[in-house]
Amino acid sequence: MLSARASALRPGLAWVLPRAVGPLVAGVVVAFLLQLVVVPILGPFYEKLMMDIGINCLLAVSLNLVNGFTGQFSIGHAGFMAVGGYVAGAVTYYGSFVLWGSAAVHGGFLGGGDLLFLLGCVVGGLFAAGAGYLVGLPSLRLRGDYLAIVTLGFGEILRVLLQQTGDVIFVPAQIEQASAFTLATSLGGALGFSGIPFYTTVFWVYVMLGLLLVVAYRLKESSEGRAFLSIRENEIAAEAMGIDTTKYKVRAFVLAAFFAGIAGALFAHETGTTLNPRELGFQKSFDIVIMVVLGGMGSISGALLAAGLLTILPELLREFSDWRLVVYAVTLIVMMRVRPQGLFGIREIWELGRPRRGAQEKRP
Amino acid sequence: MTQPNAAILDVQAISISFGGLKAVTDFSLSLPPGALQGLIGPNGAGKTTVFNLLTGVYTPQTGEILLAGERLNGQKPNRIAASGLARTFQNIRLFGDLTVLDNVRVACHVRAETGFAAAILRTRAHYGEEAAIRERAHRLLEIFGLSHRATDLARNLPYGDQRRLEIARALATGPKVLLLDEPAAGMNPQEKMALADLIAFVRREFGLTILLIEHDMGLVMRICERITVIDHGVTIARGTPAEIQADPAVIEAYLGAPDPPDASAEGP
Repeated sequence: MLSARASALRPGLAWVLPRAVGPLVAGVVVAFLLQLVVVPILGPFYEKLMMDIGINCLLAVSLNLVNGFTGQFSIGHAGFMAVGGYVAGAVTYYGSFVLWGSAAVHGGFLGGGDLLFLLGCVVGGLFAAGAGYLVGLPSLRLRGDYLAIVTLGFGEILRVLLQQTGDVIFVPAQIEQASAFTLATSLGGALGFSGIPFYTTVFWVYVMLGLLLVVAYRLKESSEGRAFLSIRENEIAAEAMGIDTTKYKVRAFVLAAFFAGIAGALFAHETGTTLNPRELGFQKSFDIVIMVVLGGMGSISGALLAAGLLTILPELLREFSDWRLVVYAVTLIVMMRVRPQGLFGIREIWELGRPRRGAQEKRP
Repeated sequence: MTQPNAAILDVQAISISFGGLKAVTDFSLSLPPGALQGLIGPNGAGKTTVFNLLTGVYTPQTGEILLAGERLNGQKPNRIAASGLARTFQNIRLFGDLTVLDNVRVACHVRAETGFAAAILRTRAHYGEEAAIRERAHRLLEIFGLSHRATDLARNLPYGDQRRLEIARALATGPKVLLLDEPAAGMNPQEKMALADLIAFVRREFGLTILLIEHDMGLVMRICERITVIDHGVTIARGTPAEIQADPAVIEAYLGAPDPPDASAEGP
């Protein structure tokens, strides 16, 4: 009965097409303008800051799909970021040697190098998504603290594995002779994967962020996304209403891991960062969780704002960098006391002014 | 497959025990299409456990559950809901931080056909389905008198409204059989009578078969055609409301056995 009515209510293509494609085009245009207009005005320091903010936004919004939308507490997000970063780094670094004989940045905007980088991002994202599936499937039988411990364990196992990898090979002749397996296990070990070409630009970061925002927002505003939210609200009731909770939890994990992988790829190719296992450990995971909690579980705009704030804040407080963790801890404690639901709760920034009549009527 | 007169919900001798406790023993039930049957019993008799067995929260250790000929035991709760068996909860389990409208729309999802890709790409099918879901949800809210509350958060509703929203949400899954677990708990007498009328109305309107757990005997006797009584997990009586009221086993279960010397003691 629903499907018959749904086909009757189906709008025309001329109405749907601009709505379906418009936001994606807008995202690319904004990213382009940021790169071409804003970056030259602000200079390299702010360029780097903008990229950092964008990458952290990607991480926070994607983790929000798991922690905020679906209500599963994952603290291994940096692990997925590491998977994406290392895979993408291997693709561009060793790929560049194979294709062009050196790891230097090749070609200009949208040139061969950029396309290889894009391929690296997608492959990194897919590997991370695969890791998300592998971690998600068995561990989603667990709830709350137990799930958190498993995700934490995943991140730590990955860190140790990456530390065991061999040195990065930088002699073209050796790379040509090496097997794919050798290359895949020559990721720099504890020292980190150095020499990855710097392909990440403000443009690419914000194209990816735009894509994630479109996906996350559309999800939240669809029947599919309400299924995610219902699991957070009450898992037993969600099941009783016909929601396949396991399927949707895995789906949230895979989707979040995919975008974390892309964020990792962007991070790996960014100027001034080193891709090493320590950098992407528990500390990083926890930073992302703080962004989500601060912004509000389930609020996309909240996650954006919190990620932005928590990226800028350490820059402003650079001379107090020793106190960063103290500031974080105090911020969290204050938030728990004052606004346990995060800055925006589950609402978006534009929904804040909307009155909730029920809330006021209840007060005598 | 089902004959016209066959039971839509056929439960054959299901049992479950938790450790040494036999929570439900050989519970059988046969609901013809369109029936409105009551399930009563003293506190702790196992009524809600029966519901949990029927809806897949627990798997029965023996017996069979057939919904329109389809075997349900061992299936996951979401599959059972998709097959057409919906329920409400005794301790209200709404999606508190979602709006009233969204509570109902979540339950429509089980009948949705477009998937993840359509939602992300915003295809024509996606828009059509969202519109159909919205329409259906609004219609249910209207029937249950909750339209003016559509944008409120479910947890901010008054208690009676929350109970009604639970029923509206269960109906949104498009069930053949509806299980109501104490829908009138905590309501005042006027609300209870209004609820009884509402249950009768939705049963006609949606062609439902209803199984009802309720403690309010007035409500049960008023709307149920047949009643099953269980105590300590065992079925002790079945029959029409009049038969149940006169059944000595039922009276004993509720009031205790009369003392032999003074059997004619009057009730309060």
